[in-house]
Amino acid sequence: MYPMTIGTATAIVAENLVKVYRERSSAPVRALDGMSLEVKSGEVFGLLGRNGAGKTTLLRILTTLVEPTSGLVSVLGFNVQKEPYQVRKNICAVLQENAVELYLSVADNLATYARFHGIPREKARPRIEAAIRQFGLEEYRTQKVIDMSGGTKRRIQVAKAFMVDTPLMFLDEPTTGMDPITKRTTLDALRVESSRGRTVFLTTHILQEAEELCDRIAIIDHGRIVAQGDLRTIKSLASNIVDVSLTFSEVTDRLLEELSALPLLKLTRRHNSFDFSLRGKEQSALDVITRLAASHSIMEVEIRGATLEDAFLELLGRDISGTPGEEPRS
Amino acid sequence: MRMILAVMYREFRIRTTSLTWIFYDLLIPLLYLLIFGIALNRTISSGILLAGTLVSYNAFFLAGVLSMASFGIALNTAYGFFVDRDNGIFFEFLTYPMTRSQFLIGKILFNCLLAVLQAAITVAFAAVLLEIPLMWDRMGVLLVAVVLTTAGWFFFLSSFALRIRRNDMFNTFMNLAYFVLMFASSIFYPLEGLPGWLRTTAMLNPLTWHTEMLRFATIGADSPVLLETLAFLVFLLASFYFALRTLRYGILK
Repeated sequence: MYPMTIGTATAIVAENLVKVYRERSSAPVRALDGMSLEVKSGEVFGLLGRNGAGKTTLLRILTTLVEPTSGLVSVLGFNVQKEPYQVRKNICAVLQENAVELYLSVADNLATYARFHGIPREKARPRIEAAIRQFGLEEYRTQKVIDMSGGTKRRIQVAKAFMVDTPLMFLDEPTTGMDPITKRTTLDALRVESSRGRTVFLTTHILQEAEELCDRIAIIDHGRIVAQGDLRTIKSLASNIVDVSLTFSEVTDRLLEELSALPLLKLTRRHNSFDFSLRGKEQSALDVITRLAASHSIMEVEIRGATLEDAFLELLGRDISGTPGEEPRS
Repeated sequence: MRMILAVMYREFRIRTTSLTWIFYDLLIPLLYLLIFGIALNRTISSGILLAGTLVSYNAFFLAGVLSMASFGIALNTAYGFFVDRDNGIFFEFLTYPMTRSQFLIGKILFNCLLAVLQAAITVAFAAVLLEIPLMWDRMGVLLVAVVLTTAGWFFFLSSFALRIRRNDMFNTFMNLAYFVLMFASSIFYPLEGLPGWLRTTAMLNPLTWHTEMLRFATIGADSPVLLETLAFLVFLLASFYFALRTLRYGILK
């Protein structure tokens, strides 16, 4: 078990946090605009938001890389501005950029990291071996990192964070560039860490990941938290949205026209199947399906409640309706 | 101390991945001395008057070579911030459980050891090959001076390396600054014969203070070394303060 907290049941508290970046060559940028949030000890907390919403700035403040312009922020009970060293002693961070020693081998990268985190050599060795095994890095163990792919470098970076015992772990889009197998390994490993009492603070673009992993979620936009709570609470914000999947025996121009005419929130197509979301209750979805079934042969129907993605889009007010004839963008 | 050792170990690991780097760091001063020094020694065969005695140009230039060498190591170490930024590891370092001052001190300490080794090799060759009469009893002073001056320049250059985002800008700025610092100092010639304005500039130049400390420790000097040492210590402490401040507040405004 990890020392879950240092005298507090709350791992992170941010109150009315403001961060303004000032560059001589450009206008000031208000990256955080009075943001407040609370992360409980031992939970997996997901911070979601579109690009430029303020996620990375918040992570930089919490990991003591930058100071807020105003507001209060504490990590594990330590004031980030007044006690940054105490904060750093209790955290580890996987930042957005690939952070590896390019001219060292994989094993040496892990050994150097262990040394920085005060792990004695005899304890470090088995941990390095475990991390190498866990992240499938056996074949690269003695190779210099410089020639490796971006995904492998990311694996090394994430592996480092699993070698240390800090009670709080920050991960900024940790699975970026990873193949599906390593991605799965990382998510599973995070779940294990969480079950051992470690607090995980995660930012991600991948909503399914957040949905699967996070105990609580906050959605940030323009430097402010627009929603915060557990998955059910967040989803309930999109309770008047239903998701529908329909598979047709054939796709005709008329069908595409009819779908285009519907007031859909989003629409994606894969061969003869269409996924769309519409505002309303299940009855609205049934009405639409009945109308379409009158002139087209429907082979499969699925109606689901709102997903995290629906809540995300609903909160951020984005319309991502596609053109019905287009394949979904990957 | 554990964290300073961890940073030193990391610097050691990175440095030892490149033999070219080690060659450059350890032997370039010798090449300066052997090529540039010998050529000028022949040209200025009458020697240079220093503290009332005539010394060979080689003997005079030895402190200049040591000076350029430790400045070079400090510059390379400061440039390392750009390499770390390109590797993405720079910001991760700053989340490690250490203070900003431990980071800066650890980073330069290993390179100070390298500078001491470099000075030892240069001084040994200068004595054996060029028969420069050295003040062996001042070698302890030389060691301390090499460590302090390398650290002083590293802290000074770090403030710029940490603030400037583009490495080509840093290189351009440093080339210009180094050009002025080097030629407006006592590295290549004594200050007595210089025009008044250049002499005044040189006397206010930390690279002159640095060179004179090393000259005092190798062949003796006729400048106010104690004052110059104190001035360099003030320069070192001020540079450390500004580097620390930049690392704390200036890297991501």
